[in-house]
Amino acid sequence: MTRERSRRSLAPYLLLLPAIGIVLLALGYPIFWQLLTSMQKFGLAQQFGQPPEWVWFANYRTLFADSTTWVVVGRSIVFCLVTASVTMIVGVGLALLMRAVGTVVRVILQIALLLAWATPVVAAMTIWNWMFDWNRGLVNWLLSSFGLPFNGHNWLQNPLSFFFVAMIIVVWMSVPFVAFSIYAGLTQVSTEVLEAAQMDGATPGQRLRLIILPIIKPVLGIVMLLQIIWDLRVFTQIKLLQDRGSIASQTDVLGTYIYQLGIGSSDFAMASAMSIFVLILTVLLSWPYVRNLLKEDEAA
Amino acid sequence: MSTTSKLSGTQIGPASIEMTAPLSVVAQRGRSTPRRLTRALLAVLGVIVAAVWAFPVYWMINSSMLPSTVLEQKTPTLLPFGGSFKNFTAVLSSGTFVKSLGLSLSIALITVVVCLLFAFLAALAISRFRFKGRRSFVLAVLFIQMLPAEGLFIAQYKLMGTLGLLNSVIGVSIVYIAAVVPFTIWMLRGFVAGVPADLEEAAMVDGLSRTQAFLRITFPLLAPGLVASGVYAFLQAWNEFTIALVLLDSSHRTLPLWLRGFIQESANRAINWGEVMAASTLVAIPVIVFFLFVQGRMTSGMVSGAVKG
Amino acid sequence: MKRKFAGLTAVAVTSALLLAGCSPSGSGSEGGEGDEITMWVIGGDTPDALREYLKTEFNEKTGATLKIEEQTWGDIITNLTTKLPDANNTPDVTEIGNTQSPTFTNAGAFLDISDMYDELGGDDLLQSFVEVGEVDGANYTLPYYFGSRYVFARKDVFAEAGVEQPKTLDEFNSAVATIAETNPRSIENFSGFWLGGQDWRNGISWIFANGGDIAQYQDGEWVATLDSPESLTGLEQLQAIYQTASKAPNDAKDESIWTYVNDSDKRGEEGAEEQTSLGAASILAPGWAHWSIGDLDGETRVWNDDKFAAYPLPGNDGKPAPVFAGGSNVGISAKTQHPELAKELMRIIFSEEYQTMLGENGLGPANSKFTSSLGDDQFAKALIDSASNSKLTPAAPGWAAIEAKNIMEEFFSQIRDAKDLEALAKDTNAKLDALLNQK
Repeated sequence: MTRERSRRSLAPYLLLLPAIGIVLLALGYPIFWQLLTSMQKFGLAQQFGQPPEWVWFANYRTLFADSTTWVVVGRSIVFCLVTASVTMIVGVGLALLMRAVGTVVRVILQIALLLAWATPVVAAMTIWNWMFDWNRGLVNWLLSSFGLPFNGHNWLQNPLSFFFVAMIIVVWMSVPFVAFSIYAGLTQVSTEVLEAAQMDGATPGQRLRLIILPIIKPVLGIVMLLQIIWDLRVFTQIKLLQDRGSIASQTDVLGTYIYQLGIGSSDFAMASAMSIFVLILTVLLSWPYVRNLLKEDEAA
Repeated sequence: MSTTSKLSGTQIGPASIEMTAPLSVVAQRGRSTPRRLTRALLAVLGVIVAAVWAFPVYWMINSSMLPSTVLEQKTPTLLPFGGSFKNFTAVLSSGTFVKSLGLSLSIALITVVVCLLFAFLAALAISRFRFKGRRSFVLAVLFIQMLPAEGLFIAQYKLMGTLGLLNSVIGVSIVYIAAVVPFTIWMLRGFVAGVPADLEEAAMVDGLSRTQAFLRITFPLLAPGLVASGVYAFLQAWNEFTIALVLLDSSHRTLPLWLRGFIQESANRAINWGEVMAASTLVAIPVIVFFLFVQGRMTSGMVSGAVKG
Repeated sequence: MKRKFAGLTAVAVTSALLLAGCSPSGSGSEGGEGDEITMWVIGGDTPDALREYLKTEFNEKTGATLKIEEQTWGDIITNLTTKLPDANNTPDVTEIGNTQSPTFTNAGAFLDISDMYDELGGDDLLQSFVEVGEVDGANYTLPYYFGSRYVFARKDVFAEAGVEQPKTLDEFNSAVATIAETNPRSIENFSGFWLGGQDWRNGISWIFANGGDIAQYQDGEWVATLDSPESLTGLEQLQAIYQTASKAPNDAKDESIWTYVNDSDKRGEEGAEEQTSLGAASILAPGWAHWSIGDLDGETRVWNDDKFAAYPLPGNDGKPAPVFAGGSNVGISAKTQHPELAKELMRIIFSEEYQTMLGENGLGPANSKFTSSLGDDQFAKALIDSASNSKLTPAAPGWAAIEAKNIMEEFFSQIRDAKDLEALAKDTNAKLDALLNQK
């Protein structure tokens, strides 16, 4: 209604101006620089003032010809999809649980989740690193006190178990946001409808699939999109785990790979090319969700 | 206004359930088992999950009270009996914590306030107006978040150097705001759409000024949404450290950098887990307090449609 | 609630204002009152007393002010990469890790100070450190201080296993294998010598001690030499250590290794059983680790000569085996606005007074004339002896990239299970060659 009236007005553009302005200010030049640098030879010497050589797409060619790139890409995508799915499943489960229990238990649950969410990443990683320490870690102590052969077990040595630990940590950190968002969506599901369905003999599974899921679908969409974006770019958690143990070349993901190319090897051109590639990759991977969101947005 | 109400109205109703749901064994079992038992079991499950989730935080606080010689043993000490606040006094004695706290708070506050303001205006634009370029804007909002940050900071350093905003709270805040504002716009969009414009206009007809109408009618309706998105912006600004490292000199360290420095310093000698955990706790406490303080409002904020998509 | 919030805002606003006020000062003419130069030190290694001395001395000599900023090891590369090329924000003088020095000197980050070389100590300066600061014969960075690695051993466990303190590397190799096999205290997974799978900085000594090297400068370029017969002998000894003497995981690094030679004493509760964290009879560690080794006294560790011993890793030629030197270089930023003041600061750093102060604080002085200032206790002796034969990473421009890609870590982690050491060495050589000469 109001929309129609303001169709030709300047107002929306004025309202967008501050947001667009600050994004352009902070990211405009850096993105431009990154594009430019990705087509140059740009190392530490160039950073210290030597003129860079323009090489067009040579960096991209080198990058795509290197099998490491594809291994890292594949590894990151698998890690991202698995972690995002587990996060979503646990998050939905906890949201349903929050709805099913009484106020007291719900508040306890919410506070516990808030504690995990509020712990700064650097602090959280310190705790987790220590809990999974092979020599004095709590996890090994706990498992071996159940008689399992975990005394001195090194979790970070094997890449699979490294990523298992990484997944636990990332899930622990991201579930609170997912659970709260979905719980918010769940409050839109009317209790009467659910009770009526139960009277009519719908199983819990059917109720979830046929009543609850369709209602929270929009929330699921945006939350899943965010999880994919975040888990694909995961950096801090992997980097801090790598600093503790594991063979880096077996556990590099996109984020740490860019870091290793850039700051590590001072090859800022390759790091830029890789960043641009990751951006394109993320857009492609998240495109189905983005399209859905756009459709819903148009419909709203 | 929302897709959800439309869905619940049309797609699913009791009728559709009736058709697809035959009487099942599960339902019969559900009837024979007392409902109370199920609820009790769920409550127990809830408490267990809560305990598991909060455990790492508990572990951090527990360890922060124990001397490192106790922590070095293979058998963990699960309760901080006989512990003390010695680790905390040791950590605080250097005096750098308070300075970093002030710095982190000022950056986070500026980021939250400016980000909410800008995002609110933009959310107003995309939820109340149809205009040319709207779709591209929405797409841009989504895509900006996909940019990997690890490769950008050299250029951001050069940029802030040119603008003369190095070593300033403003420079760091600008970069943070730009990083957080897209998602905040997306979050606030649902809220703004939920406040009927007519309501405000009706109030103005009743003699309130535009500002009064906004403050008394629209703002209270938006408050939960602002809190929910504010929390998100706050957390991002509070946690980030690469930008802060690059744009500030080493006498101005935000809390994550302070903690990193502390851990590295400790690792260079003999890592003192007790003190490291005390330092971690100190960095976490302001956020936890802030969270618990806004907890009620935030959950209700998300409930009233924050991330509705 | 409201008042609290106002308080926070006040803090926020004040620090915002404070920060806004401290923009870089304009650079005027040099050497006068009111000028300020900045020096970066990394980590807490330079004690406060030394920093105060530098500030006071600098102010007395020049009338200008010296500001010392502390960087962290983890983030120093990021900060050097962004700030060193920026004339407005560069530190005038900076410490830099010795393995990081070649990459930055080759990129042109530092001022040529060849003309000061003799004045600052000349050939008395630690030569291996001078080399990593050199490009084409010109000096850019010079040694700041050095550290070294030596053996920390459990005398009591050695005695229980009936093993003497080894005098040669061969004796050491067999001693630690014997201890691991006899395991006198029946501790699960007990190591005779603890060597982490990725801990190449300690393990490399076996390659050096047999005459091998990582890479050599031949005919104008760097060539990896891990497959030379000498290197291979070292690798075989390492493999034996990894297979029998050391029970460390393949991915272990050198973090906090001293905890393995310590006992953890009884817990304070009554009747609690004795807890032991002892896991190894010996380790190789940087000298300052001795502060963390010893018996537990309250909450601190006190060195106990009856239990512990510290000595250089023996070589087979009567000299100590070559070890990796730790430590830093120091140089003047090429972009400094105050080259004369920065040079004055260098003169103070390389003065007899300051070099002696370094030694008195347990840091190996750059100038060998002042080594005696380290004192003459067993740690000082072990430090001086082991450093007398110390080496550094190749001064190749691409070395930083090799470290960033963790190539040496990965190489070492594969030694234990390698079926064909020569193939592994050749494989790693190829990876090194691809990067060594890359600018």
